[in-house]
Parts: sequence; C-alpha cells; structure tokens
Amino acid sequence: MLNKRYANRLEAMLIAAVCILLVLLGRMAYLQLFKGDFYGEQADGNRLRRTKVTAPRGIFYDRDGVELVNNLPGYVVALRRQNNPYDEEILRALSEIIGMPVAEMRKKLEENSDSYEPTRLKSNITPEMLTKLEEKKRELPGVMIEIQPVRNYLFKELGVHAIGYVGEVSQYDITQGSYKNMPVGSVVGKFGLEKTYDRYVRGIDGSYDEEVDVAGNVVKQLGQIDPVPGKSLQLTIDKDLQQVMEKAVDEHLAYLRSSGIAPGARAAAIVALDPKTGAVRAMVSRPAFDPNLFVHGISEKDWNIINNDPNYPMTNKVIGGEYPPGSPFKIITGAAALELGKVTPDELIFDSGRHWLIDMRNAGGEALGWLNFHEALRKSDNVYFYEMGNRLGIDNIVTFAKKFGIGSPTGIELEGELSGLLPTPENKKKAFPGETWMLGDTFNAAIGQGINLATPLQLAMVMSCVAADGVYHPPYLVENLLNNDGSIYQKVEHKPARDIGVSINTLRLIQKALEGVAEEGGTAAYFANLPRQIAAKTGTAENPHGQDHGLFVAYGPVEDPEIVIACIVEQGSFGTLAAGPIVYKVFEEWFRQEGFNSSAPAVK
Amino acid sequence: MQLNRYLRNIDWWLVFAVAALIGIGLMLIASATHSYATATGKAWHVERQSMFVGINVLLMIFCLRFDYRLLQQIAKPLYIFNLVLLLAVMFVGHSQLGAQRWIQIGPVTIQPSEFAKAIIIVCLAAFLAKRAEIYSDFTDYLPAIGYVFVPFVLVMRQPDLGTALVFAVIALGMLIMSGFKMRWLAMLSGAFVVLMPVFWMILKEYQKNRIRVFLDPELDPFGAGYHVIQSKIAIGSGLLAGKGWFAGTQSQLNFLPENHTDFVFAVAGEEFGFLGVCVILLLYGIIIWRGLTIALNAEDDFGTLLAVGITFMFTFHMFVNIGMTAGIMPVTGIPLPFLSYGVSSLTTNMFLVGLLLNIRLRKQQLQF
Repeated sequence: MLNKRYANRLEAMLIAAVCILLVLLGRMAYLQLFKGDFYGEQADGNRLRRTKVTAPRGIFYDRDGVELVNNLPGYVVALRRQNNPYDEEILRALSEIIGMPVAEMRKKLEENSDSYEPTRLKSNITPEMLTKLEEKKRELPGVMIEIQPVRNYLFKELGVHAIGYVGEVSQYDITQGSYKNMPVGSVVGKFGLEKTYDRYVRGIDGSYDEEVDVAGNVVKQLGQIDPVPGKSLQLTIDKDLQQVMEKAVDEHLAYLRSSGIAPGARAAAIVALDPKTGAVRAMVSRPAFDPNLFVHGISEKDWNIINNDPNYPMTNKVIGGEYPPGSPFKIITGAAALELGKVTPDELIFDSGRHWLIDMRNAGGEALGWLNFHEALRKSDNVYFYEMGNRLGIDNIVTFAKKFGIGSPTGIELEGELSGLLPTPENKKKAFPGETWMLGDTFNAAIGQGINLATPLQLAMVMSCVAADGVYHPPYLVENLLNNDGSIYQKVEHKPARDIGVSINTLRLIQKALEGVAEEGGTAAYFANLPRQIAAKTGTAENPHGQDHGLFVAYGPVEDPEIVIACIVEQGSFGTLAAGPIVYKVFEEWFRQEGFNSSAPAVK
Repeated sequence: MQLNRYLRNIDWWLVFAVAALIGIGLMLIASATHSYATATGKAWHVERQSMFVGINVLLMIFCLRFDYRLLQQIAKPLYIFNLVLLLAVMFVGHSQLGAQRWIQIGPVTIQPSEFAKAIIIVCLAAFLAKRAEIYSDFTDYLPAIGYVFVPFVLVMRQPDLGTALVFAVIALGMLIMSGFKMRWLAMLSGAFVVLMPVFWMILKEYQKNRIRVFLDPELDPFGAGYHVIQSKIAIGSGLLAGKGWFAGTQSQLNFLPENHTDFVFAVAGEEFGFLGVCVILLLYGIIIWRGLTIALNAEDDFGTLLAVGITFMFTFHMFVNIGMTAGIMPVTGIPLPFLSYGVSSLTTNMFLVGLLLNIRLRKQQLQF
C-alpha cells in the first residue's frame, strides 16, 4: 500500500502546504498591515477623478480692438486606459460616433501608452457627436469628454506669420524643447506670437474633481478650480491695412505670373511699420497657410501640401528670408561716404557706363554722365556707388551697415529671425573657403549685391532710420497685454530706441534723393499719383537661381513720416515693377484711412 | 441506518470548510457583481452560482451511494473522452484573451479544461494504481508521464498555460506518492531549469508579457500590469478589518476587473481585511489537512492517489490564484476553488470534494 509505504511523504506534503499558507499569510500581512496605508491612499486616488478644464487662451486684437483670434467652445474626447488591448468594441463604437478610424485611434493610444493621463483622441467634437456620446455612455466605459476651448483664427491666413498658430504640444517640446513638463495633449503656441507670448496667453487650466466608477460614471461631485483665462494681446497690426496688403500681394503675384513678366513669382514678403515707434502695422509673407488647419492636428494631406511647397509657406520671409539688399543698400553706402567726408554732396563723378578700375557697369548698361550725390542716389547709379565703395573701403561700409541694423536680428517678438550677412572678408571666407576679399567684392557690397544679405524687416528698418531722422526704433508687434475685461494688464516693454549716429545733414540729403525717386522722372514716378508725397527706393536683388528678386522700400508722407514699407517679390524682376505696385496699394489704404483719396489708380 | 452510517462517517471538517468557503464565495460574488446587479436589477451571478451549488450538492449526495472504485474501471474511456473534449475546444471554442477555452452547449458555456483537471486526476490515479507496487526504475514511470503528456500538450496548444501547469502539478503529486524517487525529481528540476529558455520561446507573446509584467507590474500600469496593481491596492487598502461588505471602493467602483472570477480574493482582502483573509486561508488549510489525511487512511492505492491528486490541485490553485492577486505569482487564468464565480470550476471542485468524501466513507465502511 502506497500510503503506508510513503506515509512520511504525506507528512512532508502537509508541512509544505502549511509553509505555502504561511507564505501567503505573510504576504497578506505585508500588504495589509505593513503597507496598508500606502495602498489605502492609492485606493482613494483611484476613485477621485480630476477632469481638466483647459483655460481659454487670450484673445488677439488688432490696434483698434478688432478681434483677430478668439476661441470657440469645444470638447475633446479622451479615453482612459483600462485593459490591454483596448476593448475593440468600444473603439469601434467610438470610431463610428466621432468618425475617426480605429487605426488612427490606436496610434494615438500607442503614443500615450506610458502615461496615466487619458488619451485625447479628437478635439473638434460636434454637438451631434456630443449627444450621441452622452446617449451611449454606458456602452463606452472609459470615454471622457473634456472641455477645451478651440482656437479660432477669424480671418484664416490673415497675418498668420505674425500671429502664428497653436497645436498639441509635441513629445520633443515636452522633453527638451520650449514646453518642458507640459502634459501630453496640451494645446500650446507653436509659431508666431502664439508661441512667443504663450506663457501669458495660455492662462491657467482649471479642473473639477468627481468620485467616479471605472466606467467614468460620476458618483459624486467634489470640488472644482475655475480656469484662469489667458491674457489677451493688443497687437500693433492694423487689420484693414493687413487685409489690403494681403489682397494686393496676391493680386499682384497673380498678375506677374499671368502677364509673363515673372512666371516664377510665388513668394513675397512685405512689412509696414511706424518709423516713430517701431510698431509693425502689417506683415505678410507668401505663400501662407490657414492656421485653423493646425488647431485640431493637421491632416497628413494638408501637411504634405504645406511641407512640400518649394516656397516654404511656413517661413515668415519678413524675418526669416535673407536677400541681397540691392540698391536700397546705397542709402548706407551713401550715408557712410557723406559722414566720413569721402565725398561732398556737390562733387560730380563721371559715369561713363563702367568704373575705371574694374569693368563693372550699371544694371541696364546705361551711362549717366556727370552726377552729384542727389542724382546718383535718385537714379540709383551703380558706378557712382562703386566709387564710394572704393573710397570707403569695406570696413567703413560694414560699420555703417551695422549702425543701420544689418547683421543682427531686430529682436522682434518672433522666432526664426535671421541676422542677414554683412559683407566682411570673414563671411566671404566662410562662404567661399580659400578666397580672399577683392576690390570687386567691395564694389558689389556698395550696391547691395554679392556677399551681402538682409531680411526684409532689416531693410524696412534702414528706411525707418532715414524716415525718423536717424533714430532706430526696434520693431515690435504687441502693444499691451490685456485682462479678460479689456483693461490693460501690462504695457509691453520694448527695446529702447537708439540714435544711429548719422548727422541730420546727411539724412536730409538722403531723404531728398529718396523723395526724388517717387517724383516725376524717378524710378518709381507713378507714386506721384498718391494723395501725399512719399520717399522710396527701388531695388533688384541678383538671384543666381532664377529671375531677380524685385525690391521696394518706401516711407511717407515725407513731411511727417507715419509708415515705412519694405517689399520683396522673389523672382519678380525689377523692383519698380514687381514690388512697387503692392507698396502703392498699401500707401493708398493708409492715406484713405486718413481721409485722403488717390487721384489715380496704381500703375501696373 | 444506511443514512445514519453515512452521516457518522462523513468527514465533517471537510464539509464544514468547503461549505464555509462556498458561503464566503457567494458573499464575495454578490459584492463584486453588485454594480452589475443594480444596473440590471437582477443578481444573476449569485443566483446562478447558488443554483449550481444546490445541484452539485444533490449530485454529490447521490454519487456517495456508489463506490469511487467504479471510476477505476472506466478510466480508459474517460481518458479518451477527455482528449476529444480538449480537441473540440480547439476547433469550436470561443476565444478570450487570445486563448480558446470555452464551448457553448445549449445555454451553458462550459470550460472543458476545468473538467479535464478532474478527469486527469481520475485517469492517472487509475493508471498508476494498477502497477504501483511493481514500479522501481525511472523507466517504469515513463508510460505514466507520457499518459499525462498528451492532454498536457493539447491544453498548452489552446493555449492555457495555467491549466497545463495544473496537470503537471497533479501528476507530480501522484508520482511522488507512487514512489517516484526524489533524486529523479531533482534531476528533472535541473533539466527544467536548463530548458527554461526553450520554454520561453514556446510561450505566446501575451504570456511572455504576463511574466515580464509579473516581474515588474509598473512596466505597464494601465495594461498587463493593471490587474495586479489594482488588486494589490484593493487588498492592501483593506487593512486589518476590511472596509466592510459591499463597501470596498476598488471592487464597488469597478476598478478591479474580473473581480468576481479570478480576482475574487482581492474583494475578500479589501472588504474583509487581514482577519477575513486569515479565516479563508485557515479554511483552505483544513481542506488540505483533510485531503492528505484521507490519502493516508485510504483503503487502496487508487484512493490514496486520488486524494493526493485532488489535494495537490486545490493547493496549487489556491497558491497560484492568491499569489497572483497579491502580486507574488504571474497572472494566469486559474480560479480560486469554491470562491471564484464559474460553474465549470465549481462543479469540478465539488465533484472532487465528493470523491474525497467517498474515499473516506468506503474506508470507514470496511472497519465495521
């Protein structure tokens, strides 16, 4: 009999069983008696659910208080984690209601898989969806509806490069970028002023606490913290001017292409600002995009369209485009020559069509004969300014370029601003290793070509310095931070103005010459049709990759300058043709607002 | 007089422990399914479990009239029936969590692997008992090992790792009882350890994950680790005296999934506290003690082996299930005997208790 022979084994089994029971008992004592308080707290945390209420972002107003960006009431559907894998039936039912493919949901859930927070699946929930979700709540355990105001860009792409857009914070931003420790799914400024002023505009999220069961059914309402709305921004932008500017750009680009003048003209940058304060009144970069596309997470299709555009719609070319400054740079060369006494206003220099040291000519090959400073700048004579370069030397040119703000960012409140490129021997070495600085380089630099780059905003600032009699007012976009009720919360501090150190006599000479440009006989004579007189400088930036870029800078009215405009049309041909007509329309609008009407339409 | 003798020779300790556990089980199921019952207005789980308790008690009483040794004679057809059943699951079974475990027969969903455990005990006991006296060499045991290996593989294929392990443990207990040398056991264990990586490769991804997460539940706190984390919170927060029946927040607010089946012990821990847990463990202790005592006093080898197999199965189930809820065992779909909701498991376990009572009854009968 086995039980007699192996009775000791049965005994051993009993002892082993007792040991097993003691192990379990010990474990229970550890969990319940030793660590009981810890688990007790965890159990409490489990049944309390905190639902986030996203604070509405601040409103963006234009300078006159017109709303440019506001918020719409919005709801976001989120799913709390329960089982792995997620219940297929719940996902399918949810997919049907909110019209989002299950595969896309799974992707989002996967991205959020190491977080305790519910995964935000879809943010633009329609009232119909909301009703359906409410009806089917029982069949959709774990599905939550959170309140999240939706950013609304009232005028779509209007001013998008200045205003920017919001979007869900990216994993990169959380771990190492601009938004450290923000929760996944937060909506933050991603671009433009939305990003720069994010910490003011964002506000403080609120929440409410409820006791819930695992299906999210509320058992009891507990406390709540109301969200604090973000500060609103009062911009310097003039909505009407911005609108006119955008329309003018789009129409003129279309005209340039269809007329055959510049079939490749698709990109442009224009900025208008107040020379007496630096307040930017309008800012356009083309091509653009609709920021509303980004609010709910951009679709792959839309993203590909924007991202694959060879003209970079996402770049604000006003601050992020670097172009040879072309003829407007002659203002700097001229100022340097007059200030340093390298030329007197009345000295006549003979333009035979080429410079006598190097065979470098005027753009059109013309020869203008004897010229004084006024005529040379007004007619934008190359040979005269080659000679100025020859007399100044490159170092003096660079010194004055810096005075006018070339070579360093203006410091406007936008990300992605470039410095431009000063015409220094060092910069040439970087661009062309092994090559040394030649006199020809100085000639080129003197007329704004060659190793010489500036952003459209920097060009506007050169003009602004001239208009403001030598005072540099750093450009800015935000006037005030406003409270919810519209009262001023804080006036935004801007960088102080500085005197550029160019004498008033020199500036007067330059002003006179620029006024001449926009008069009968100047390179932009059609501006004489405007109700008030302006000063301007046309330019053409050499483009090794295609047709030249057309440039146009101006300010007006001349007796008391209120606005400076700089415009560049990529591959637009001559400035007076490519960029001038756009600037004309902006002036027209500006003067119209002041009650002056043009006597004649712009010449195309 | 027949009845009188029955009553005198019934193992009352065993009956008491089992009855108490089933009673506690019904209380726990009632609590665990409370929200469901409130929502539907019908305590479906409790009613169904109670109904099967009643049916099984009647069946047990009825079966006590027959000598358990009758089973020895039908072991062979039972074994074949078992294989057919397990094969059937593979082809017509419902799947859950990637495993096929259920068969729908009319209105009843059954879990053949539960019954298979009982059948394995009976068949292997019969197989070993026939030749138990002549076993001496290791090779003598090979037929018996092969005999279990076939259903073992079928269950593994379902895949139901938990049940397969139960088969192995049952076989282990009976082999030990039939004189399997400890030296061989040590060698087999050594071989198992060496072959561990091979077993790892055979495991399905979700099984591997369970083991990974068992080692570190925080690896996937809202996924594979969710059950264990929530279960530990439930048990731990029960403290000494528990939160009270129907008052466990984890259980009542549905934070604990499967809380009426595999994780029912967590409800006990949360609502009845450490004291309740002690009572339950004590009751299991009684069952094990009685099981081994019945084995010791059994009239024949078949009875001894049956009793050992049954006791091993109960013990293993209890240890693995409670260990799982307490986070010291990986998550396997092994129910807690008498406490978990599940009529297949309940019926099997009550049948096995009936067998224990039967073995004890026949022995006493001969003394008269």
